Amino acid sequence: MTTTHEPPTHPPDSSGPPAVSKFEYNLLRILRFLLGHMPAEQAAPLVYSRFSPRPPCLSRTCVRLVQDTLAKGLIVHLVRAGGWRRERFLSGNQPVDGRVWDRVPLDVRRLEFGEHTLEFLLWISAEKPTETRDDWDAPPAELSAADELFFALALDALRPLPDVFPLLAAKAVFRGNPLCWLISPGDFAADEPIPPAFDRWLTGTRAAILECLQPALTQRWVRSERGKGQVGDWQQMRQQGRAELAALAAFLAAAETAARPDLTRFVLRSASAVFAGGELTPAFWTGGLQGIGPQRLADRLDTQRAALALPRQLETLQRWEQRARSVGYFDEDYQSSQLWKADWEAARGDDVAAQARRVLEQLEPLRT
Amino acid sequence: MSRAYRITVKESLTRELKGSDEIATKLEVLEILPPEQMAGLLAEELKKRGFEEQEDGTLIRTDGKVTVCIEPCTGEVTVRSESGETVTLEAKRDATGYDDIGPGEKGIRERVREQIKQDLEKKAERETERLQTQATRGLEQKLEELQPELGAVINKITREALKHKAQQMGSVKEISEDEETGNLTIKVEV
Repeated sequence: MTTTHEPPTHPPDSSGPPAVSKFEYNLLRILRFLLGHMPAEQAAPLVYSRFSPRPPCLSRTCVRLVQDTLAKGLIVHLVRAGGWRRERFLSGNQPVDGRVWDRVPLDVRRLEFGEHTLEFLLWISAEKPTETRDDWDAPPAELSAADELFFALALDALRPLPDVFPLLAAKAVFRGNPLCWLISPGDFAADEPIPPAFDRWLTGTRAAILECLQPALTQRWVRSERGKGQVGDWQQMRQQGRAELAALAAFLAAAETAARPDLTRFVLRSASAVFAGGELTPAFWTGGLQGIGPQRLADRLDTQRAALALPRQLETLQRWEQRARSVGYFDEDYQSSQLWKADWEAARGDDVAAQARRVLEQLEPLRT
Repeated sequence: MSRAYRITVKESLTRELKGSDEIATKLEVLEILPPEQMAGLLAEELKKRGFEEQEDGTLIRTDGKVTVCIEPCTGEVTVRSESGETVTLEAKRDATGYDDIGPGEKGIRERVREQIKQDLEKKAERETERLQTQATRGLEQKLEELQPELGAVINKITREALKHKAQQMGSVKEISEDEETGNLTIKVEV
């Protein structure tokens, strides 16, 4: 962040805790909330309050504390989300074992933040998001991997604030963030949803982040699928399903191009968990829909098909498995194919794909 | 002393209204023979059932207001139901005016005409909804009839394909078919 102002002066730090202004104190508390270290009920008054006049800049102490909180908070999040697990992921087309810090070199693991993270913190601390003329936003192309991770966590943390969340989700910084789409595509539900490009998330630091987030993403998708049975509104279901379809199709296509099927493991594991309870019918997803729905049969069918966005992806994943089976020992992608086959077997892929096919067939009006 | 007068305005609207509904799905054709041969068998069977082949290779049959279109190579089926009518809608409204106060006759007529236009638009919407419901019901009924028919088509071409396949594998010694159960037994000497 650039500034032409002198940093505010504070009494020299004694041996006690660092001293910051009231505004900076609020900003640091909001940051802790966005990183999941404070409940929404406690943070809500801070988010809803306006701080006027907004300070021109932050003290060095505050900036240092923000840096420290971001660095520790995001690393802790990634480690807890799944980075601590001994897993196998591809690196240069070869499977590598171990925890994330064993698998991924230090320079790839480095999280570097741009100016937009701090600007967002200043904005949300100073403004009341529901009543502000300062329509802050940031171009998604200017965000670093760390920024995108932070904004994805921030949006998720703000979910319990129902009037703030949709205002933020409409901003380009979140709408154009591929990680936000992978975590909860339903947040960007629309009649014709257009997900951002996922290719940057399949290499380098972003891919390492995705490796860590696999278990967390699996949990999110399983929860979302199980919750669909409670959705009563046809239009909501249709738009959510369309967003999920668009996001998953784009992500799987990008993963295939980048030869990183291992990063789609959460899709396979989510489907496996959903179908683990035995044979399902479409009612598992659409049973909560209220009334007869739209007048046109075409719209009703479209809604029901969209609701089953996750099972629909099994066809692609199975195609990868079938291709992996035909890869020979001396082929270049033998090791990566073996890894996908192992993932497929661990997730009972054949059984899950067969169940998914059966449940999708039940929706078709002319099944023979 | 003011005098009241009544103004009656009548308007009519003639419009072509349409309702339509459509579903697209896919037939599950087993790949017993190469896809082009399976497509050929499917096309032949559909032609026997009144489908007409188009220039682009699709097969179309129109039953009343419902059109069934099948692409034999991919097995894609589109069923479209349309319902249309040219309707003449009429509306009439009365208004009272006074010769000394309030808007003049011209103003009242304009206002009433606007209200009538809105009434006619609402009636047209209701008519469109009715036609839409009619089209959807037509589609649903057609699907109920079409499902067993297409099931029979798929069964038949599957049996034909199995017979062809058996002939390719060796000399067919015996073929027995049970129409009731759908069982087909082929004995082949390889």
